[in-house]
Amino acid sequence: MSIALRGIGKQFGEFAAVKNIDLDVPTGALIALLGPSGCGKTTLLRIIAGLESPDEGHVLFDGRDATLWPIRDRNVGFVFQHYALFRHMSVFENVAFGLKVKPRRERPTAAEIRKKVHSLLELVQLDWAGERYPAQLSGGQRQRVALARALAVDPDVLLLDEPFGALDSQVRHELRRWLRRLHDELHFTSIFVTHDQQEAIEVADTIVVLNQGRIEQCGVPSEVYDLPTSAFVHRFLGQVNELPVILRDGRAFVGPIDISTAATLGTGAVNNIALIRPHEIEIGPEAAGWPATVIAVRVIGPIVRLELCAAGQPVNEPLEAEISRERYEGERFNVGQKVGLRFRRWQVYPTGGAAA
Amino acid sequence: MAAAEASQGRRARAGRLLLIVVALLFLGLFLALPLLVVFVQALAKGVSTYIVAISDPVAWSAIKLTLLVAAIAVPCNLVFGVAAAWAIAKFEFRGKSTLITLIDLPFAVSPVIAGLVFILLFGARGWFGPYLRLHHIHVIFAVPGIVLATIFVTFPFIARELIPVMQAQGKDDEETALSLGATGWQTFWRVTLPNIRWGLMYGVLLCNARAMGEFGAVSVVSGHVRGLTNTMPLHVEILYNEYNYAAAFAVASLLALLALLTLAGKSILEWRQPELRHAARHARDRTRREKT
Repeated sequence: MSIALRGIGKQFGEFAAVKNIDLDVPTGALIALLGPSGCGKTTLLRIIAGLESPDEGHVLFDGRDATLWPIRDRNVGFVFQHYALFRHMSVFENVAFGLKVKPRRERPTAAEIRKKVHSLLELVQLDWAGERYPAQLSGGQRQRVALARALAVDPDVLLLDEPFGALDSQVRHELRRWLRRLHDELHFTSIFVTHDQQEAIEVADTIVVLNQGRIEQCGVPSEVYDLPTSAFVHRFLGQVNELPVILRDGRAFVGPIDISTAATLGTGAVNNIALIRPHEIEIGPEAAGWPATVIAVRVIGPIVRLELCAAGQPVNEPLEAEISRERYEGERFNVGQKVGLRFRRWQVYPTGGAAA
Repeated sequence: MAAAEASQGRRARAGRLLLIVVALLFLGLFLALPLLVVFVQALAKGVSTYIVAISDPVAWSAIKLTLLVAAIAVPCNLVFGVAAAWAIAKFEFRGKSTLITLIDLPFAVSPVIAGLVFILLFGARGWFGPYLRLHHIHVIFAVPGIVLATIFVTFPFIARELIPVMQAQGKDDEETALSLGATGWQTFWRVTLPNIRWGLMYGVLLCNARAMGEFGAVSVVSGHVRGLTNTMPLHVEILYNEYNYAAAFAVASLLALLALLTLAGKSILEWRQPELRHAARHARDRTRREKT
């Protein structure tokens, strides 16, 4: 089922949670709503589910206006961050719930329910746990039960509200991959909310970045990561170094480095900043770039993060650069060592505004 | 150094012991001793006097009236308590804090005043007095008045018990049930009620204990008609004022016994339900998670 949002707005008292949102989710897509807490992503998801009603705008399901449909008529599966399993029911009863509450005419027989629940529990690799109670399961297992329960009623849309937020990183990683596989097998439309950019990049086909109730950018993960249209998106999708851009003699500089391009010069604005990701900083011999001192080295698995104090920069705002473990093994940067910096890529934004 | 630590440890142990002794002494003096006195006095003139006292027809009618009043008041407050707790815990609406304050009102107001309010409303010269007289409806100095006063006084018990339980559980379970296609009614019976059942039972027990034991408000509206509008607490008072101590304490011991049974019921519920401890832990985990 395809979903379309047209001019959705919602206020909570004085606070505008979402403002004038337009979004199209094609059938079978896996979309991430990404943003910091308070950006309106959960509100938007709850509006799609029918758990909140928008103050303005329309929700379209397959082109039909579903704005006023109650949640139980929308045929959506909803998965909460804290699982919301019914704790007085066994795992089997939890998954069977949606089938057992159907009106008598549509309700499958007890044998059919048993068969369906068992096949779902197999799908989530918990067929051994049917008689257990939620309290006896780990967080990751509980969330898989919640997913099986949501899938039991054959939803057209699966909505997940920070589904992996309460899990530790190992389990989270595993479940992300598993959700992606499940989505590819079953072809429902999925929308999930997350504040974790890595999760969004790993799982989703399309990322919708939200900020202060508005859509900041929408696109495939690589596009949003590599070509952010605003400083906000650039900052939110990974580590960045922020440096002021200085205009001198009709050219643009960051420190001593000339970053003049048509784009950086074109605006003519005075207060620009350049955003540079840690892996976009090139480290070479001192003479070959912006002189800097290594002030910290941290090995993080396959990468090595260096903190660098560039000449003319305040000491308490060091730059972060990342190099590969292999290169580090070969060259051995030490604390106190003098190096020279260059930038492989950068992007310039006016302070507090859109891309230049 | 080691000696200092040892003396500190001794002092901590002594402090703990002192606290326990003080608490036990206090409990014994103010709770256990009076309760014991009731039973001793009741049986002071022998078992036969005791049996005569509680099998007296007037005493019996008081017992029956007390049970009847509790049987009406508790279900009324059960329905109201669940509805109010649901509204307060799961919805945002204007006047919510006023509602919470109103629920607490019976705790704050003296029961005597509660009784007087009903006299002012339904008494012969009260607001609705002429209308009631015209239609031959007796509220004050009759059973309906006693029921009304009891409902008023026991109003907060169930709601107060349920509000924190429901607030701790949040709305996720109900929203999940609705998203799975359950109707509101199915959601209430299959999800909400099982989630609150222990809190609910506890509230019912407390409400029942108070409904049976209420004196002040009931005394004002009852009129003390022997065999008709006397509840057990009122009957005890009458017997006592007539210097019939043995009978007074005999009926009092029955009331105390009902109270003890209620408390025992509550303990059994808690003891038999590891789920209760579990639920408490769950609620704690949840608040901790929300804090981080």
